[in-house]
Amino acid sequence: MHLLLVGISHKTAPVELRERVDFQVHGLARTLAALAARGSTREAVVLSTCNRAELYVACDDVAATRADLVSFVGEFNGIDRPTVAPHVYDIVDLDAARHLFRVAAGLDSLVVGEPQILGQVKQAHTAAHDVQVVGPVLNRLFHSSFAVGKRVRTETSLGAGAVSIGFAAASLARKIFGDLRGRTVVVIGAGEMGKLTARHMKSQGVHQIIIVSRTMAHAARTAEAIGGATAAPWDEMDAALSGGDIVITATGAAAPILTKARVEAIMRSRRNRPLFIIDIALPRDVEPAAGEIEQVFLYNIDDLQATVRENLARRGSEVARAEAIVTEELDRFGAWLRSRGAVPTIVALRQHCENIRRAELERLDYKLASLPQADEARARVDEITRLIMEKLLLAPTEQLKSLGDAETVGAYSEALTRLFRLGDDDEQERGEGGDRRIAPFTRSKHRGSR
Amino acid sequence: MLNLGPLALYGAALVAYIWHFVRRSASAGRAATTVLVFAALSHTFVIGMQTVEYGHVPMAGPTSYISTFVWLLALAYLYTEMTSDERGMGIFILPLLVALQVIPASVPGVESRSAVLEGPLFGIHVSSLLFAYASFALACVIGITYVLLFKEIKAKHLGVFYARLPSLQVLDRMNQRAIAIGWVFLTIGMVVGVVWAAQARAYDPATPQFQAMSLEDPKIFVALVCWAVYSFEVFAARRIGWGGRRAAYLSAVGFAIVLLNFVPISYFVTNSHKF
Repeated sequence: MHLLLVGISHKTAPVELRERVDFQVHGLARTLAALAARGSTREAVVLSTCNRAELYVACDDVAATRADLVSFVGEFNGIDRPTVAPHVYDIVDLDAARHLFRVAAGLDSLVVGEPQILGQVKQAHTAAHDVQVVGPVLNRLFHSSFAVGKRVRTETSLGAGAVSIGFAAASLARKIFGDLRGRTVVVIGAGEMGKLTARHMKSQGVHQIIIVSRTMAHAARTAEAIGGATAAPWDEMDAALSGGDIVITATGAAAPILTKARVEAIMRSRRNRPLFIIDIALPRDVEPAAGEIEQVFLYNIDDLQATVRENLARRGSEVARAEAIVTEELDRFGAWLRSRGAVPTIVALRQHCENIRRAELERLDYKLASLPQADEARARVDEITRLIMEKLLLAPTEQLKSLGDAETVGAYSEALTRLFRLGDDDEQERGEGGDRRIAPFTRSKHRGSR
Repeated sequence: MLNLGPLALYGAALVAYIWHFVRRSASAGRAATTVLVFAALSHTFVIGMQTVEYGHVPMAGPTSYISTFVWLLALAYLYTEMTSDERGMGIFILPLLVALQVIPASVPGVESRSAVLEGPLFGIHVSSLLFAYASFALACVIGITYVLLFKEIKAKHLGVFYARLPSLQVLDRMNQRAIAIGWVFLTIGMVVGVVWAAQARAYDPATPQFQAMSLEDPKIFVALVCWAVYSFEVFAARRIGWGGRRAAYLSAVGFAIVLLNFVPISYFVTNSHKF
């Protein structure tokens, strides 16, 4: 069995195409059902976000499945194959696993280290699990990827630091005031930028938002648009600032509105309680010298952008550590996957022994039948022989499962097949059933995927 | 020499806190706390042993009360860490613990005390003051971290401390609380000390030490200066807008005076507080 990944992402496809290849709009359950119905895969998981659409499948014939999946991507989304095919990448086996691990870690994201992707990977797995199209291989693969994501988040700073202006402002505010609940935000100016930043602060749980604008009607309208905010007239600005904690200035004024002297007066009335001023206006609304006042923290849009850039750079330096975690977990997954190569041999060996046991029991049954308590005796003999068989097989089974590389697994399997003539046995047993060797390990409830 | 064990463990905890601070690894942080807990436990054991041996808590001579002070500071810090779930300040507290613990670990702790020191008042006097000093030490370290973080935010260079310390608001509140608790115990310790000194003077007029206990004794004088500084910080500073960074500086200055009183004055200068 092979792992195969077919997909498009922000690295290979323009946004116009990514918008069209969106499995989320059709519903993951429907996509998975349609995919399973094609019969080219044994297990499948569909990961669909705004930056990527990827099909993770377990299959037997890589070339055929690859061709089928590329067609599926086009057909399912109503796009011609020639339009979509050049943008599709396909990755096989452990490289596919590495790709998923990097995706879960946020290493493959547009903004490296962004935290949402791990949740999306988990959703993709849950959706496939719910419609029962994942089996042991993809289950293991995805659970390993969750472990990678979690380890990268806790052991590296790949996701640390805000990488957008709004987040940078909010995280600074939290570093100054601790909890933002119970804090008051004053927005000066009723423009779009001020509104956006205020909304972001609101989503962080601030207690109160006051909008101050030269025209009261504008202020009222913006307050309504944010929801739960109040408007205040221009000449009450100083009073609002005395009671506020965070100030966002975003007016179109040509000269600074808040001069150093004015802020000093405000600070006196607040007994020097800290004041965080975010000046996102161009030209500036706040005199830069106001930032020199004790307990005034003045940041303008350039400062915030600089912290965002710094954070991005810092994330970059964490990439190597995250990649090391990916490699470590990949080795672990690879070992597991290789041990699975021995599974058919193990199953065949067990089947072979069981066949001999049953045959002998049947052959010698007449001896048991002559005993006084025949049924009791049969049950005992059956139990004892089964225990002997289990004991004999335990060590070889464990040994086979723990073998390292595919080559050794192949050699051992070959040897066992010859020594016990497993092939012959198997043919007699299997009849037209086809897939019986794998069945006990994949559990019948996953049959839908095949 | 019993104090060597805790010293070694405090040293190990310091290394773990440094590791935690540098690598920002949560497991290193948990390990650091665990080692510190063991250090405090072993220290408790040492102090317990000495208590059994002498029949009272060891705190009469400078050597033994420094050990008790280190123990109280470790406990106070562990309490802070466990209630706030913040480990970023360990790297500042541990060096202080290690440096002070070197004294009891290297100077043989001969504990002999005269009969006059046996009453309960003396015990209350010393233990209140030691606890007050431990609180002030904590407040000082919190104050220092406040200033470091404050400077980073103000200078718009969000770096080492920004990523590792709790918010300014939290640090300020912790500092305030530590100062308030310390001030209460300082006051109790000093009042009890005055009462005890009066009793001792009446009880044993022949001992020159008791007669020397007055404001002219450097140790008593410096303690009063301390009390004045911390009283100002508790009652007046915030009313006149001296919160945040100024309060942080003030707690550092206060503790510098405490430390002055604690080590050099105790050993070399005082003429009344020597037993």
